[in-house]
Amino acid sequence: MAPYKWQASEDIFRLFHSIGHASLLYDIQDSHSGNMAMRWKNAQGEEMIVITATGSQKGDLEPNHLCYLSPGETDFGYYKASSETDIHVNILSLPGAQASMHAHVKELIMATLDDQPAPKTPLPFVPVDPLAFYHLGPEIPVDWFAVPSGSPEMAKTIPARLADHPLTIIYGHGAMTRGRTLKETFFNLCLANNAGYIVRLIERQIRSTRAKRQALKTPEKQEKNLVPEAPLPVGQSPELEELRSKIKAAPESHFHFRPTPYNTDIENRCDFPEEDEILKEFRKTGNRLFESRLSPFHTGSMSVRGVDYLLYAPQASMPYEVGGPLLKLPLAPNPGDDTELLLHKKIYAESDFQALIHAYVPEAEAHAHFIYPGEETPIEKIIPVDAEGSFMYLVIPVLPPKFDEARLVSLLHDYRVVVVRGGGVWAAGGLSLSEALHHPSSVREICLYRLAALERGLDLRKMEPEKAKKW
Amino acid sequence: MAIPGYHGRVLEINLTTGNIKVEALDAQDVLLYLGGRGLATKLFYDRIEPSADPLGPDNVIVIASSPLVGSQAPTAARGHMVYKSPLTGYIGTSNSGGTWGHTFKATGYDALIIRGRASHPVFIDLSPEKIEILDASHLWGKNVPESTDSLTAGSTPGNLYRALVIGPAGENLVKYAVVANDKNRVYGRGGPGAVFGSKNLKGIRVRGREKITIADEARYRSGVDQAIYLLKQAPITKRLMRELGTAGLILLINVINMLPHRNFLDVNHDEEKLERISGEAIARGYLEKAGSCYLCPIGCQRHTAVKTADGRVRRGEGPEYETTVLMGPVCDVYDLYYIIQANYLANELGLDTVTFGGTVACAMELFEKGYLTPEQTDGLEIKFGRGDLLEKLVDLAAYRRPGLGSLLAEGSYRLAAACGHPELAMQVKKLEIPGYDPRASYAQALGYMTSPTGACHLRGGYAVSLAFFGGTKEIPRFSLLQSPIAIRNMQNTGILQDSLGVCRFTGFSFAIEPWARIVSGITGYDFSTAHLEEIANRIAALERLFNLEAGLKPEEEDVLPSRFSEIPIMSEGKPRAISRENMIQMRRDYYRARGWNDDGRPGESYLREMKIEPKKA
Repeated sequence: MAPYKWQASEDIFRLFHSIGHASLLYDIQDSHSGNMAMRWKNAQGEEMIVITATGSQKGDLEPNHLCYLSPGETDFGYYKASSETDIHVNILSLPGAQASMHAHVKELIMATLDDQPAPKTPLPFVPVDPLAFYHLGPEIPVDWFAVPSGSPEMAKTIPARLADHPLTIIYGHGAMTRGRTLKETFFNLCLANNAGYIVRLIERQIRSTRAKRQALKTPEKQEKNLVPEAPLPVGQSPELEELRSKIKAAPESHFHFRPTPYNTDIENRCDFPEEDEILKEFRKTGNRLFESRLSPFHTGSMSVRGVDYLLYAPQASMPYEVGGPLLKLPLAPNPGDDTELLLHKKIYAESDFQALIHAYVPEAEAHAHFIYPGEETPIEKIIPVDAEGSFMYLVIPVLPPKFDEARLVSLLHDYRVVVVRGGGVWAAGGLSLSEALHHPSSVREICLYRLAALERGLDLRKMEPEKAKKW
Repeated sequence: MAIPGYHGRVLEINLTTGNIKVEALDAQDVLLYLGGRGLATKLFYDRIEPSADPLGPDNVIVIASSPLVGSQAPTAARGHMVYKSPLTGYIGTSNSGGTWGHTFKATGYDALIIRGRASHPVFIDLSPEKIEILDASHLWGKNVPESTDSLTAGSTPGNLYRALVIGPAGENLVKYAVVANDKNRVYGRGGPGAVFGSKNLKGIRVRGREKITIADEARYRSGVDQAIYLLKQAPITKRLMRELGTAGLILLINVINMLPHRNFLDVNHDEEKLERISGEAIARGYLEKAGSCYLCPIGCQRHTAVKTADGRVRRGEGPEYETTVLMGPVCDVYDLYYIIQANYLANELGLDTVTFGGTVACAMELFEKGYLTPEQTDGLEIKFGRGDLLEKLVDLAAYRRPGLGSLLAEGSYRLAAACGHPELAMQVKKLEIPGYDPRASYAQALGYMTSPTGACHLRGGYAVSLAFFGGTKEIPRFSLLQSPIAIRNMQNTGILQDSLGVCRFTGFSFAIEPWARIVSGITGYDFSTAHLEEIANRIAALERLFNLEAGLKPEEEDVLPSRFSEIPIMSEGKPRAISRENMIQMRRDYYRARGWNDDGRPGESYLREMKIEPKKA
């Protein structure tokens, strides 16, 4: 029998504590919900599972809220492990699964609710944003369970789902995911919640303008649109399903680029520890990107340019406690550079900017799909309707998913911030990261106000300043 | 036909021959150099021999206007002057608000070029109807307000005369004499007043009502609306400057350990004493009203009054931040009574108060260390803290009084060198360092090192202003890595502001984007920010090229005095100095960021890329 395992490991505790706290900040847990687990070898080299205690507050974990279990003795110990321990143990037995996590990803839960009678057979969730689409897959399974918490049925079904998918949805309850690290599981859950949020925003803007759009269409088109080829579950809109179908059919033409797979090898790398002031700027900015939901955890990127190199955070959205890799890289393109890094380098090569941020602002991602009633194609510019936004920006250009990169550079010069449909928000700072950060932050607000105006049935065209339409 | 925003005419006056000619403004110069500083630099470079004696007839003065001047864009009423500086021996480039710049544009010319030397004191009288070189013998010896009043007498309502004049300091070829308009707005640094004086040019009077055309009213107006909104939004431009003037920055600068003390020996101040010379103290005790340059919503001017010991009330303008700091804490003086009166007199006599304060502080240190003897000071005990001497020292310098006056009139470097200790002059390229200690901001330090005019925060990049953006544009103050590009970008912003004819303080609210929209709207040409950046890089390269051709040695002269390496200050809990190695590293990276060679010279291919043709060797 293994010795009692609740003696704390400082590093393990810090990791669980920081991820737990971040999950509350990102609002994917309630005060006591969810659980986290990971495989771990103790000092004696024994294989163990570390898991949060049942009922513990994930936002304020204490050392004795971690249970150290041997895989065969999951009920042992003073503090009792999560009621979903069996599910986690089974997940962690999957090849390559070193960590697992369950969270109440509210936006995704809301996006997958339906009013079908039980037992339900929910459709898989199809994300329309590049992060979830590429990282979590084009179809994320959704399973309905009669007992949707800690049940033997779940312990059997969920690991089976996760054998083929990085994340699976428990109808009405949340999601479970596996990863190589606990950070990766949190990454997956944040992407899932973000994907649900984007879908819901798109649905809201579709619904809020449907009547006007129908009124402006010809009778033939009205008829066609109102009678979809296949009946849809109640609550799903044909326009959204049409978008999903198009994306599934040709994702590469709907997304700017395929995000680089989540990298767990460089988690704590910092190439410029002596630059304490710049480090502080990176961490401050990364934390703001995360806390203000300007980009899901460990997504996006940011950089500060030196003369021959750039300081680069490839997982820009990072809460203080968790952090992310901070790299010093040559400014000249390298064969191993991914698309995102190459774009940073290209922009610097053709500009005097000192800082760049690429963030996946969900509100911008959703709003970039907006089509004005009476028009056929999505917007090419976002015109702020709030006071500060309209004076700060007047307009924010929106690029289609595929564009000439020189066009992006040119627009950044003139507008400092550009939204790419299916590709996030690019923002430039002439002098500092802080300056660049202001742009995605403002864009989020600008989009929120526009979305709110739509939901309230207001006519955006009437609200937009005339001069902005000409600019 | 002229490009909208320009009149399309350049006026050139040779004071030696009296020849006056008007030429068409080259559209290519406009597209490559914009206006103001850029256009003036191009016209200057095309006409001057780099080896010309700054105080000889071959020096060329170019005054150029900008496409925004004549519009209603906020602050767009400034003028710009380029000359070879007698203080530094390199390019002098100076910008002023007030009303003269706007009225000059209204005469119907985009630029005025002055060369040669008149045989006797003259002034230029310029209006759309006439161009005359008139006798100014009756004005020679008069101070700035007297000369201004004399030249502007006879104005008619709605068509006022505006005068640009020098005072006795310029006539006496003091190397840091200014050229003043509106009595108190000056083209200040590097001695343009001495260049005027050397040409026997007392002033330039202008009058006119010529208007510019605007190509795209809607685009222009949208930029103006945005600029005004942003100026009204930012705390520095909407309130602080109007209420406290530039001296309102004193307490802020002290908070970030950047306020120099005792000839830059340290940054330590007794806060109670500092409060006595703050913008708040000026507002409480001396301010009569705030004022504005033409078209400026910021309103930083201080119209002040002081009651003298004999019961008189003296009125004038200021003191500004730089004056207060250089004549104040840098000289260990914390008494506004002395600072204000010395400032009034310096303005009246036409002295640059920054260089004057820096020179006096240097003299004080030299004296205290025994390198400047009582025999050389005519018995004056020039010690730190002697605020009571300031006004007398202004008089000595401005009139080049024999002895100490003639030493002070040369600026700190030549003074310290004459005393055998040039290292005690706090200067770069012989121009005195303004009121921001470089040890508290590496970017500011690099700005001083690489400014084309010497240690100037306005030409070298106003990095310290980043501290006032409430974080939006704040950059790490002690980063060797980030400073080179940051200061290049700050310098470029300044170059563009000077070339657009707008105030540096607009930079407290926004950088270039609204201006790009405005200048595009006015001219009808697409001056994107990328295009403007390219123009700024071109202007920086041309200024550099002139300096190199005039003899600049980057290795020796793009550096700070050794004091800043040897004596650390405390800031953010750590000792801060800038080692020679750090200077060299930042400087090399700055050159690279500019696209120049590692020796600080723009290479042939870069010049070709910038469409710059160097002079033939």
